[in-house]
Amino acid sequence: MNCRECEERLQSYVDRELSEQELLEVQRHLEACPPCENHFRLQLHLKRLVKVCCESGQAPAHLRAKLRQILF
Amino acid sequence: MAVGIGVSVAVLEPGMATMVAVADDPGSERGAQSDDFAEEAIGYLDTLYRGALRLTRDPAQAEDLVQDTYLRALRYRHSYQSGTNMKAWLFAIMRNLFWDRFKGGRPEDVSLDGDAEASLYDTLKDPTAMPEADVLDRIAADEVVRAVEQLPELHREVVLLVDVEGFSYKDAAEVLQVPIGTVMSRLHRARRQLQRSLQDYAREAGIVHGEQGRAG
Ligand SMILES: [Zn+2]
Repeated sequence: MNCRECEERLQSYVDRELSEQELLEVQRHLEACPPCENHFRLQLHLKRLVKVCCESGQAPAHLRAKLRQILF
Repeated sequence: MAVGIGVSVAVLEPGMATMVAVADDPGSERGAQSDDFAEEAIGYLDTLYRGALRLTRDPAQAEDLVQDTYLRALRYRHSYQSGTNMKAWLFAIMRNLFWDRFKGGRPEDVSLDGDAEASLYDTLKDPTAMPEADVLDRIAADEVVRAVEQLPELHREVVLLVDVEGFSYKDAAEVLQVPIGTVMSRLHRARRQLQRSLQDYAREAGIVHGEQGRAG
């Protein structure tokens, strides 16, 4: 696998959407290629950062109460 | 369509609503069964509210959107197949309500996807669009949320589904009613823009030092 082929699969790799075979091929390339490895780490980092930052916060209590009345 | 997550097209298409309503017999399904449904559904309240807040960027509108999502879910609960992905089913309802109510229609003909395929990987290695990991760590959470909220809706919703909610490409594709390839290209562009705006922010806020700082 060359760098371009690795780049093309990196998003799916970060999102855990590759087949076992492709995953191993990307892994092998990343172990041998610091620039791609660095790129991978940044992508993964960004994905996790977005998750952590957007995941916080709760629905307002009055909305929950209203919905319980509607639903039950 | 959308068999995997139990999203019935009838729920998603306004024109089909009357058909479903005829089959829907309120009163006959009250009791334990609908309580189970309601209990499971309300378990996703915080998740849906956060998603609604990111979509509408307005707490009052987010509340309305979430409430309408639950009303529609309750009305069409028969189209939900027990044991399938209720979170995806609810997100599909909410997402379609969002586009119908707040954006005046479905996003079929938005030109955002136009040149997605051609440029998909070309600018991937643009070094100026790529903040370093330690730079990312010093950006406040509010700023990351703001960057997400600045994405065009079509890009924002796929980031919410895949990155925040952990949907597979397949489930996201079913919620959004687009091919998996479209999910991937929107996601790619969304992340590229996120990287760019976070990098811009880091530069403006003076978080970026070293070579880029000295050069400027
Ligand atoms: Zn490489």
